[in-house]
Amino acid sequence: MRLDIRYRTTFTYENLVRESQNELRACPRSDENQGLISYRLQTWPSSKVFAFTDYWGTRVDAFGIRLPHVSLEVVAESSVETFQRPLLTVAPHLETLRDPAFISAHHEYLQRSPHADWGRGIEAEARRQRELVGDDVVSLVLAVHRVTGARITYARGATEVGIEVEEVLSQGKGVCQDFAHLAVALCRSQGIPARYVSGYLFTRDDSVGADVTDGDVVEVQTHAWFEAAIPGFGWLALDPTNQKEVGVRHVKIGHGRDYDDVQPLRGIFCGSSSPTVEPRVEIRRVRTNASPVFDRHVRDPQMEHQQQQ
Amino acid sequence: MLARDAESLFWTGRYLERAEDTARLLDVTYHGLLETTPAEEAQAWSDVLAAVRLGRVFAEGRRPITAASVSEYLVFDPKNAGSILSAVEQARENARTVREQLSTELWESLNSFCLELRGRNLRADLEFQPHELYGLVRRQCQTVAGVAAETMARDEGWRFFVLGWNLERAEMSCRLLSVRYRQLSPSAFHQWMNTLRSASGLEAYRRTYQASMDPADVVEFLLLSRTFPRSVLFSLRTAENALGHLALDGQLTRPLRQLGRLRSGLEFSDVRELMQGDLGEELRQVEEGIRQVAASVATQYFSNSREFDLHSLHLLPGEGGGR
Amino acid sequence: MPPDRASATDANRASLFADYDLGGFFDEVFDADNHVRPHYAPLLAGLDRFTPEDLVRRARIRDAAFRSQGITFTVYDEGEGIERTFPMDLLPRIVPADEWQHIEDGLVQRVTALNSFLDDLYVGEGAAIHDGIIPIWLVETSDGFNREAFGIPVPLGARCLVAGVDLVRDGEGTYLVLEDNLRNPSGVSYVIENRVAMTRVLPTVFANQQIRSVDHYGRSLLNALNRVAPPASGDRPTVVVLTPGVFNSAYFEHVFLASQMGVELVEGRDLVVDDHVVSMRTTQGLQRVDVIYRRIDDAFLDPVVFRSDSTLGVPGLMAAARAGNVTIANAVGNGVADDKAVYAYVPELIRYYLGEEPILPNVDTYLLWDEDQRSEVLDRLDELVIKPVAEAGGYGIVIGPAASDAELEACRVNIEADPRNYIAQEVVSLSRHPSLVDDHLEGRHIDLRPFVLSGGDIEVIPGGLTRVAMQRGSLVVSSSQGGGSKDTWVLAKGAELVVDSDAETHDGTEPAADDVEELS
Repeated sequence: MRLDIRYRTTFTYENLVRESQNELRACPRSDENQGLISYRLQTWPSSKVFAFTDYWGTRVDAFGIRLPHVSLEVVAESSVETFQRPLLTVAPHLETLRDPAFISAHHEYLQRSPHADWGRGIEAEARRQRELVGDDVVSLVLAVHRVTGARITYARGATEVGIEVEEVLSQGKGVCQDFAHLAVALCRSQGIPARYVSGYLFTRDDSVGADVTDGDVVEVQTHAWFEAAIPGFGWLALDPTNQKEVGVRHVKIGHGRDYDDVQPLRGIFCGSSSPTVEPRVEIRRVRTNASPVFDRHVRDPQMEHQQQQ
Repeated sequence: MLARDAESLFWTGRYLERAEDTARLLDVTYHGLLETTPAEEAQAWSDVLAAVRLGRVFAEGRRPITAASVSEYLVFDPKNAGSILSAVEQARENARTVREQLSTELWESLNSFCLELRGRNLRADLEFQPHELYGLVRRQCQTVAGVAAETMARDEGWRFFVLGWNLERAEMSCRLLSVRYRQLSPSAFHQWMNTLRSASGLEAYRRTYQASMDPADVVEFLLLSRTFPRSVLFSLRTAENALGHLALDGQLTRPLRQLGRLRSGLEFSDVRELMQGDLGEELRQVEEGIRQVAASVATQYFSNSREFDLHSLHLLPGEGGGR
Repeated sequence: MPPDRASATDANRASLFADYDLGGFFDEVFDADNHVRPHYAPLLAGLDRFTPEDLVRRARIRDAAFRSQGITFTVYDEGEGIERTFPMDLLPRIVPADEWQHIEDGLVQRVTALNSFLDDLYVGEGAAIHDGIIPIWLVETSDGFNREAFGIPVPLGARCLVAGVDLVRDGEGTYLVLEDNLRNPSGVSYVIENRVAMTRVLPTVFANQQIRSVDHYGRSLLNALNRVAPPASGDRPTVVVLTPGVFNSAYFEHVFLASQMGVELVEGRDLVVDDHVVSMRTTQGLQRVDVIYRRIDDAFLDPVVFRSDSTLGVPGLMAAARAGNVTIANAVGNGVADDKAVYAYVPELIRYYLGEEPILPNVDTYLLWDEDQRSEVLDRLDELVIKPVAEAGGYGIVIGPAASDAELEACRVNIEADPRNYIAQEVVSLSRHPSLVDDHLEGRHIDLRPFVLSGGDIEVIPGGLTRVAMQRGSLVVSSSQGGGSKDTWVLAKGAELVVDSDAETHDGTEPAADDVEELS
């Protein structure tokens, strides 16, 4: 599926901000499930963007603005083609998780991390699932996926970054990264390597996964899901928020141990406090013969500095 | 040089001069009052507080104005950031942040001065040998200044040090006059003499004016002398010279313009006219002018430092409009 | 050395060393038969006219001099900073030329391998991991492994621009590596200041000695920093020293290094990043910076990338380094190579990268995640030294033979909870050196931290910081643990070691104590 994505975030500050330094992770990666066709980033005020690939393989755009400004707008536009994912054809035994080579290769995704740390509640839930499904890795991962959806309901603004997953589990509500962190923690507590994924989802409403007609533009947010390593297969991607397998409507930006490794925009600013933030993602499905772009955002051309991938 | 280092050197100079001026003022007041009435004494001590611009803050503490209370407040009260001890500590702290810019001798003399003050029983000193204490502060400040003059290269750092030092001195001499100018009657003879003593200018004054204690002569001497290093004009000329060296390619910077105007205003004024006019207002304007120069110096050279109000951005997926 | 000369010297030391007890340890000054080692003979000859009282008086002069010069470090106790001097013992430690050559060769070899390992890890292919020399998980679980530094190049691969390698000598006098310090090793200022203090307080003991000088350190450091400047910065790169500020315990050293090199000492707030280029704020506007010798820990360097609450660092610095516009020294992420568990693999890394046998051996080390090694260690906990892997400065170390039962039990619980976080080592019977204690000389355990500079060629400063465990019997010699230091003399090759007793070295020209005070 060919998708055009327009990531846009506007910060409006109360007073003049004299300096702002940021890192953006909004560019879809290219891998066996999707191919990046084009990417470009613009900021207002304009800035010189330095792009690199980080440890996790995610493209990072670093930019700083050091002249007084009261708002900062970041627009990243990409075109991406997503592919059908291969069908799962294996059903490895839980014992296969103990293979030293497998453990060594996935070591980082087996450890606790700040946002995917587990305590008794999570461990008990994971063990219960394990007893229910028997000794097959895939079944356990799917059970984790289902129970994540069953134990928490989506509630916008229910949580903030920094909340413990145990707390998410006990209060029973959260946003997409809480679903992903909980699923990751449940998997890891049972020795299944799992990672947090940041990306975009082309759908009108995450919670029902409603379909969208070709050519429609939908407004969404960046999304999060998780991937679990299945011995003999590779990474199985699941979207616990929507209780769906990850497919052609999911566009992956990157993965890591948890949110901190793939935070979409992190930075600091200096000179004012409490900005209002307006993040917005627009996604449009493109038929292959259609023009791949949105209407160009009209701006003062002198302020415009383009960074073309 | 680093903007922050320049600022630290500027303040090292200012604080040292502040410590010295305060010690001088206290010494003279204390020893000038041994034969006066309690009312005169209270007036003299409140003049001291006025001269260091701490009268209002002191009054907030609801303390009686006595020799002991004011001296303690101005010598070592930890709550008074303008006390001699605080000023020396701050001079040292500022110097410590620019140690690599200072000669070892300069740092050592300032550091040991500070350590000595810290190690003394200042309360006992005030009670039993105030003169020795003030003498020590004065001598040590002069030692530091002398070591600085002998060992520091005449580079930017030196100019900022001299600038801070002389702006402080000019301001202090100006305030000394402000406090005294109302007492124009000849009977206030010994206050005028003390004022001169406070500025260490009595001997130099006598060589110029002999035994006269005409207030106009004293004002002329402390405000307009071209030869006495503690006069307002002399200090401003020294400061202007330092600023001139700091301006690249003879560029006329804002602080230099302001200081030039201020200095030439004094340079060409006539003490008789001043005495007939509103001397108080004149002094107030000079003092205000000095403050403005200091503010412009900060804007021109120091304001380049970042303020410490960093905030981090956190942006959640699923926050804001959609999910 | 003729035998009669030796016995004469032995006789001379009667006064100072009257009750000196070797205590069964390897002593740096005396051999097992209580004879003075030849390289100490001239020193002892020079000292023999001093009474203990003389030495005590000189020690006081030294303390006063250090305080007035502000040669201090800050100890934080309940939030209150206290400036302390790092006491220097008056008896210098002497290393003969051939021993030093051995140390130097070993250090060059070790630091070369560590630089290769770090470069391999951060910008290479991870060859040592792929080839099974070091387990990948060990690297990935190291606190010092900074994924944020992944892919940031360092010119010449000089990642450990300044390394401080802690050496000890065992009961046979063999030099062993105790640990590597590759992040922000401190102490070099004391090496130089101790030498200056020695020449002032005890000038005559330098007579008849050819001691290699250490005062070129600033120049060598600046040269190394210049060599790692980004290629675009031209012939005269701008180098700065980045300090956390006056409240840092090693602030004196930061000042010292900046002034030795004649470069600016900056704080984070003095630097700005514009378009991925770093500049410092000067009275004349911004001036570009090419190399930052930083004395700030990784986690505080850049709030965009690391701790966002840190105001010590420079926002945008990491991206500037990645863009190749500025070099940060020491490189970010070096902590992975001085992790004490990774330390155990350094001999293997030397063989792997250099194809050589290690010249300086490690102390025998047990890795506690290995079940067999762990159970052996837990059985012998009271005989071993247990160290947390990521701490420096002697914090968290448990010395089995000296620990109480409760301490050992707590240690056992910690190990079982997180075996990756600890290593165990055999207790090294550290060598001892006579040191002035109150008014007499006693043997005290010592170590040695030489400083190694990378920047193309590797240079070892002849000498280093000899640290003394000032408490009797203590084996912990860190400055943060109340230790002292010694001036460390490396003798020049071919130096005459024989005292010419006819050429009187102490002819009454020794300055009186009061004169000395004025000198310092």
